[in-house]
Amino acid sequence: MCCRCGVVVSDATPVISADHVSKWYGQVSALNDVSARVPPGITGLLGPSGAGKSTFMKLMTGQLRPSTGAVRVLGEPANDNPGIYNRIGFCPEQDAFYETMTGFEWVSTLVGLHGLTPTAAREATERAIEAVGLTDVAGRKIGAYSRGMRQRVKLAQAIAHNPELLILDEPLAGMDPIGRRTTMEMVREWARAGHSVVLSSHMLHEVEAMTGNILLMNQGRILADGDVRQIRSLIDTHPHRVFIKARDPGALARRLLLDRDVISLRFDGDAVTIETARPDELYDWVTERAAEGDCGEIEELSSPDDNLQAVFNYLVKA
Amino acid sequence: MIRRSRGLGFAESTLRVFGFSVGSLLWSKRMLFLALLSAVPVVIALVARVAEARGTPLHLAGSETLVGTGLFGTMVWAAYVRFIVPVFGVFLGTGLIADEVEDRTIVYLFTRPIPRGSVLIGKYLAYLVCTTSVVLPSLMLTYFAIVPVSAVAASFPQLMLDFGIVVIGLATYGALFGLVGVVVRRSIVAGLVFVFGWEPIVLLLPGYLKRASVAFYVQSLVPHAVPRSDATFLPQLVVREIMAPASAVLWLCVVLAVCLALAVRTVGRRDYVLDQ
Repeated sequence: MCCRCGVVVSDATPVISADHVSKWYGQVSALNDVSARVPPGITGLLGPSGAGKSTFMKLMTGQLRPSTGAVRVLGEPANDNPGIYNRIGFCPEQDAFYETMTGFEWVSTLVGLHGLTPTAAREATERAIEAVGLTDVAGRKIGAYSRGMRQRVKLAQAIAHNPELLILDEPLAGMDPIGRRTTMEMVREWARAGHSVVLSSHMLHEVEAMTGNILLMNQGRILADGDVRQIRSLIDTHPHRVFIKARDPGALARRLLLDRDVISLRFDGDAVTIETARPDELYDWVTERAAEGDCGEIEELSSPDDNLQAVFNYLVKA
Repeated sequence: MIRRSRGLGFAESTLRVFGFSVGSLLWSKRMLFLALLSAVPVVIALVARVAEARGTPLHLAGSETLVGTGLFGTMVWAAYVRFIVPVFGVFLGTGLIADEVEDRTIVYLFTRPIPRGSVLIGKYLAYLVCTTSVVLPSLMLTYFAIVPVSAVAASFPQLMLDFGIVVIGLATYGALFGLVGVVVRRSIVAGLVFVFGWEPIVLLLPGYLKRASVAFYVQSLVPHAVPRSDATFLPQLVVREIMAPASAVLWLCVVLAVCLALAVRTVGRRDYVLDQ
């Protein structure tokens, strides 16, 4: 049993298996001889931008064909197999929508393509919208949604047809701290209900909060898989930069300097970039401040890639 | 808990894609622009009618007066068959899949349990419904603005035939540029070069090269007499020498079917790499 999410992990058929998979875009190699078996439960695909995570996910979801090798999902071929999409839900990274539709219309349109009757599609949409906490704004045009709402409605379209496997590409990117917490809880809940989740991120603490099982990728290869704690011990040796976009960055900075172990702090418009040796504590602290609202509204929390990149550089050199 | 459904077949998938594509296409900015464009012949027709009423009817570059069904026939040929129909085909046909790729929304359709080809065909049918619902009213208004009431009864069947020509033109250009849109990256540019570069040139050339155009077959169907009194219309006379209507319809159907089949095959096999 996974200690973090409570999901029973067995040696059953892997939800995803890749067998010597490579993918080239012309002369550029995006994925290089990747072999992996993703077990049931939650698995984090961790790596910096350009590591090949999105390409791997597109191969898992049959959007791309491997140049060599084969990918199987839930025991079925990933390519030329439209039926598999009844069993998987995919949340892409890109911020793209039919902007003129309402959130409800968009999700129900897409879930309707799963062969549900209009009534069943409407009910499925209501459930999905409620699960991501967008019921109040479901009738609003997506073009008027905040970044966090857009991320959540993307999640809703992925879960609406109740898939066995969720594949989420950077699902927390651009969310506010409370949205992150809600979404992470939703993913854990989803897994507890017996589904599997594969999610990508370049932020270790995000993945770590949901699962201990990771695939570590860099430069189109899988460097390691298994327990996240080993990576954690490496990453903690590097100073960590955190980007916080807030309504009142000055007040936030004052509290940070008083309360936290901050190595450096830089203002950038309405955002603050902080360097800290204790990122986990900082993330918890920012989430608490966002919930209490005593430093003004916190709109975005993210971490540039270079912390993780430093760890990868270290691993590669080692 | 959702009762898991069986996958949709090709026809049902096509209908579902068609269902949501009609609304989004009909109210798109591009369609609005094209609807305005299709109003231009109506305005010209009204101006011609007013000029005729004032005793100063329109003339060709030579001396022939253009009124009534003669003017309508010329407008069907010049404004609709040679301009509006191909322009609709280029701007909307190329975007059937390309717009979704450019907007990066194609991923939501290609990760559903439906054949990829049904996305293309559903959008193609939406294109056909939307374009005909804009162009045919324009053609009808032009007709009623130009043709005198006394001539309506005699020429109305001809209007129905013109409707058919416009529909088959929209269908064929849409299929052709639907294929171009899934194969070529800068498909609108390629389409415009084809319509305003390649087609006018090959239509003027003797021999069989003109058969490598859609305009050749569509123009073969235009039943209206083309004014013959002036040398500027010599190209029309050349164009009109050529094919029997039944053969032209057959060839247009072949072009349409082949283009759609190739487009469906391409969409089904192609990797779409979206910008992040």
